[in-house]
Amino acid sequence: MRRYALFLGCTTPTQVLQYELSSRWICKQLGIELVDIEDFVCCGINQSNISIEAGLLLASMNLALAEKRGLDILTLCAACTGQLAEAVEKLEDPKIRDRVNSKLKTVDLRYEGKVRVRHISRILYEDIGVDRLKEKVKIDLSRLRIAPHYGCHYLKPASAFKGFDDPDNPKTLHHLISATGAYPIDYETINLCCGGKSFPVSEDIARSLVKSKIDNLMLKKIDFLVVQCQTCYLMYRGQQRALNQKFNRNYNIPVLLYPQLLGAAMGGDLRDDLGIHLNGISLDDFTKKLGVDLPYIKR
Amino acid sequence: MKLSELGPEFKTEVMSHKEAEGLNLCFACGTCTAGCPIHEIFYEYDPRKLAKMVKLGMREEVLASPYIWYCTTCRNCEQRCPQNVKFFDILNVLKNMAAKEGYAPHSWIEQTKQIMKNGIIFSITEELKEKRRALSLPALKYNGERAKKILKLTGIDKVKDQGKA
Repeated sequence: MRRYALFLGCTTPTQVLQYELSSRWICKQLGIELVDIEDFVCCGINQSNISIEAGLLLASMNLALAEKRGLDILTLCAACTGQLAEAVEKLEDPKIRDRVNSKLKTVDLRYEGKVRVRHISRILYEDIGVDRLKEKVKIDLSRLRIAPHYGCHYLKPASAFKGFDDPDNPKTLHHLISATGAYPIDYETINLCCGGKSFPVSEDIARSLVKSKIDNLMLKKIDFLVVQCQTCYLMYRGQQRALNQKFNRNYNIPVLLYPQLLGAAMGGDLRDDLGIHLNGISLDDFTKKLGVDLPYIKR
Repeated sequence: MKLSELGPEFKTEVMSHKEAEGLNLCFACGTCTAGCPIHEIFYEYDPRKLAKMVKLGMREEVLASPYIWYCTTCRNCEQRCPQNVKFFDILNVLKNMAAKEGYAPHSWIEQTKQIMKNGIIFSITEELKEKRRALSLPALKYNGERAKKILKLTGIDKVKDQGKA
């Protein structure tokens, strides 16, 4: 049995509950035990804007809390992944670790440098593997054409993810989508950022980034845009509606989180296990797209 | 702007932060700007130009610029830099300095307050608790006490929203 400390972050457990729900469900099916740690706090990435040290201390606190329980961390949010993995890398330097530990002391914590931080998709890819995921697939999704979106912090800073995938030409999410039977397409703006971290400062600028990607995707024949971060999800799902109002468009690309796609292929209950209805997608439309007659509500 | 108003002091000040040590290696090739998604839609935001302005010593122009906060943190600039300059880190140093002078956007300051209260950047409302219960998700028990203690050590709680941004 694999055990990980589940790092939910701020946004997933408060605004994108279906990401948490579907992640918990697929992990359970795949024999990955997720441990909830009540005293986790924000990863600190946004605080780095006003104090790099504050961002590092928040990240270090979380690492220390996982280490105390002897667990590595499984993340859902791309930004948390980048922030925590970067902190792990920084804290390899004994001088920085000593400085941080002298501050962690005030909250009775200490970090020795033993924690590994990986995103759920990376853990699926590395620990379970595409071949074993394929064996778990019960429902044929081969009709679906999917646009993958990776999320910037999933692979950057590159030095914190040594040897895992290529930030300029990423492929792991393509492979994970293929594992479900669906077809991952390539498209011109695949590496374009969702704009989520600009949004609190300038909504117009952030929305323009969403528009560039959606304009590109509207020209493609796809069934879903699949993301692996709740911020990317909120940007693409929420801002399409805002853009429709502002520019009188008809953007309507449905967005799924990767565990929802995998879960659907594994035969999960679309409502109770995966929360597909929370993405604003009707379960009837969803099953129609899949081309199968799913008993999607077990009760 | 007069030449006499420029000088190396600002660059030295920025580079005294470990994160910005690599600034001297920048030869202004513009690979950062070419890969910047914000620049593509908003011409005035320009990483190469900002690096140059720091080197020239344009302190006030850089720190008071609202544009430095527009970065979406995609990190393409550092990823693609042939000189391995970490512009993303340098920009964070600049934003940290700007914050001390009262230029931090309201949103980031508000988030810090939330973390000191709740441990995360959002409040856990009754409505949310009910939503989580309905989906059989475990109750959230975040608590800001520890975060507050540790954040106070950095002085981030004293960064004031002076309404300049």
